[in-house]
Amino acid sequence: MTRPGWFSALLGVCLAAALTFLTLPVVAIFVDSSPGDLIASLGEPGALDALWLSLRTTAAAIAIILLVGTPAAYLLATRSFRGKAAVVTLIELPLVLPPAVAGIALLAAVGPSGILGGAIEAAGIELSLTTAGVVVALTFVASPFYVRQAMASFAAVDRTLLDASRTLGASEAHGFLRVMIPLAMPGLAAGTALALGRALGEFGATLMFAGSFQGITQTVPLAIYDRFSTDFDSALALSAVLVAVSAAILLSVKLVRGGEALGVVAR
Amino acid sequence: MLRVEARHALGDLPLDVVLRVEPGECLALAGPSGAGKTSILRVAAGLLRPERGLVEANGETWLDTERGIDVPAECRRCGYVFQHYALFPHLSAWQNVAYPLRRLPRADRRARALALLDRFGLADRADARPPTLSGGERQRVAVARALARDPDVLLLDEPLSALDASTRAAAARELGGVLGASDAPTVLVTHDFAEAAQLGDRVGIVDQGRVVQLGTASDLAAAPRSAFVADFTGAVVLTGIARSGDDGLTHVELDGGGTVTTTEHGHGAVAVSIYPWEITIEPPGDEAHGSVQNHLAVEVLSITTVGNRVRLGLSGPQPLVAEITQTSAERLGLHAGAKVTATWKAAATRLVAT
Amino acid sequence: MLLAAVVAGCGGGSGKSTRLVVSAASSMTEALESCAPKFGDAENADVRLSFAGSDELAAQIRQGAKVDVYAAANTRIPDELHADDLLSTPVEFATNEFVLAVPKDSDIGSVEDLTKDGTKLVIGSESVPIGTYTRETLAKLPPDQEEAILANVRSNEPDVKGIIGKLTQGAADAGFVYVTDVNPTGGDLKAITLAKDLEPNVTYGAGVVKQAEQPELAKKFVEDLTEGDCALALADAGFGRAP
Repeated sequence: MTRPGWFSALLGVCLAAALTFLTLPVVAIFVDSSPGDLIASLGEPGALDALWLSLRTTAAAIAIILLVGTPAAYLLATRSFRGKAAVVTLIELPLVLPPAVAGIALLAAVGPSGILGGAIEAAGIELSLTTAGVVVALTFVASPFYVRQAMASFAAVDRTLLDASRTLGASEAHGFLRVMIPLAMPGLAAGTALALGRALGEFGATLMFAGSFQGITQTVPLAIYDRFSTDFDSALALSAVLVAVSAAILLSVKLVRGGEALGVVAR
Repeated sequence: MLRVEARHALGDLPLDVVLRVEPGECLALAGPSGAGKTSILRVAAGLLRPERGLVEANGETWLDTERGIDVPAECRRCGYVFQHYALFPHLSAWQNVAYPLRRLPRADRRARALALLDRFGLADRADARPPTLSGGERQRVAVARALARDPDVLLLDEPLSALDASTRAAAARELGGVLGASDAPTVLVTHDFAEAAQLGDRVGIVDQGRVVQLGTASDLAAAPRSAFVADFTGAVVLTGIARSGDDGLTHVELDGGGTVTTTEHGHGAVAVSIYPWEITIEPPGDEAHGSVQNHLAVEVLSITTVGNRVRLGLSGPQPLVAEITQTSAERLGLHAGAKVTATWKAAATRLVAT
Repeated sequence: MLLAAVVAGCGGGSGKSTRLVVSAASSMTEALESCAPKFGDAENADVRLSFAGSDELAAQIRQGAKVDVYAAANTRIPDELHADDLLSTPVEFATNEFVLAVPKDSDIGSVEDLTKDGTKLVIGSESVPIGTYTRETLAKLPPDQEEAILANVRSNEPDVKGIIGKLTQGAADAGFVYVTDVNPTGGDLKAITLAKDLEPNVTYGAGVVKQAEQPELAKKFVEDLTEGDCALALADAGFGRAP
């Protein structure tokens, strides 16, 4: 049975609309200013500081998320226990929190007047207005993106394979490293890409929790905000760089996994 | 020697088994799906902890719920072949076989894996990944992998059922050879009695979580203890009411009509069991032969050729299956709808508990 | 299209005939939120208030945002907009006091105390009025003092609310804000007045945006800021009268 012509046309129109809406702002960034101006603006030290800071803090946040989030996701995907649904909801919560609320939440928890504020200060750790604070904010907002995807990827791996691994004399840890992770890899890569994108673009929670200071806490999004009223070209240039870096990350993830990366489960 | 005792509630199924398998022996557990056969294997392997149980292998206690001993699965030297093989799709065939050989240096691992694959005729497929292997090849890799580290116990879950019919016969012969050569006590699980009979030194019929009869395949066929066992081993089972006759024989009035005679003794509601190959087919009306014979008027429903024999599905007061030679079938000119008489000896008519 | 209609439909909830869009510096948040509805009721208009740093609001106007009234925390930015023919002649409608805010139990008592090593100071960014006033003030100090104080800056916030937030959260030891921002904190913060010679001249300017959709109404609102209910509300909040 062939699709009615009007239905196909409607699908096409919707796709065109979506594509235009999503790509136009991105394209406009590159079109609104000349390449020469863009590059010149980038050369200015504040811009480079912001870029380097964004990359450093995002890398640190992702490292924490992978190290802690991967085993946590594995536990949630393979074991059931009382209250599991509640735990999963809690972990997913930052996903639906607006960045401002995330900022408030962080302040209320680990800010200087927060629940753990006293303990953190006593331990000699400074989070507010520091680069460490930026990493905390990025980790908080980006981790659910990874953990959720990792959970789904682990759950999709055939459990019999883990049984087989155990009957072949491998400990559960060995099975996790040599069977689970390789088979869940496309999903894990996709989750990492999502978390990376979220962390690079984080603004509200960072501003509220860590402040904005060149080289210490002023990540690229904050630098863009700082410049947009006085030096729009500079803001454009930084935006262009952020778009390019994010696109490069997404693309490299796709290429590495040969197209399996976007949400498709391991076979 | 392998000893498995387990008592466990599997959902609605109350698992309750006691098994003992000698070194070099293969015990085949046959039964319908859902009977709990796979769970028995999982208990032995350490993948399922029963409420109460005992597993002893090669002198070691792997599980003793009373004494609180539960050796984790990875520490039990089991070779387990899973129903769909559970080969690691991201590893090549030789890497799969070498997976349990972590303790060996890398060069030895590959050599040993290749040697095993060679034994199964798969040396040229060593670098292939499971998705590119045929069903039969995957089955052999799975068996090779289970054997790789000389396990104390071999556990096979429906090792042939995922294969298509043409591959199955060859695979069954090959597996039989492997089992014969192995010292390890083996438990094999299948839903096919013929497979169990072919591969197992002894066969246990499993129904609803219990082993209802244990013995050699011929014992089970010759003396099934219940209608279930008879039916499972491929017998024709007819139900009826039995009463003793003056001639010293027992007469059974079949439900639905007809009477059969048996040399065994029974009374009241019984089940009668005959094997298809004990039934001969004659044109209708032909009766009176030497020893006491049973006759039933039936109609041919289906005719299936199996090798050089012919299986007939027959409809009568109760359904029957007869197995006769190709020659006989041709001589009788059988076709669907033909009316014939099914005949068998009273001595071949067994009474079994319903 | 249906979605756009729904969104637009949901937007104008009040049912009033005209809409007045006002962009105002965040230091005026509390005052204008209390007086704008009264103006709206009197003029049968729906007053939309938008608060942010004056520089950001000006940038939006430059980018073509549909704003009727622009009220800034200084006169420089309105003058610049006027010079670029984007704003009518600005009117000075209020003044504010530039102060040093500290937590209520702080040891810091003067600007000089800010030179101490390890003091966590939060100020406005370079382009926002509170930030320019801060740098202007610090420039009046002896250079070594100015340097020491600037070295203690830990964050350049895009608006005054961010500075207050850091102070009330205990993340910073001190910050330069307007006295009108300290008042709403209910005593959590105290304001330290600066010496007369350091004190910058904080005058607020407002004007009608040239592209305004409601220029007449906008003019009335600016008058209200200068002499009407909003002027009273500003005074209640601690703003000074126009010079």
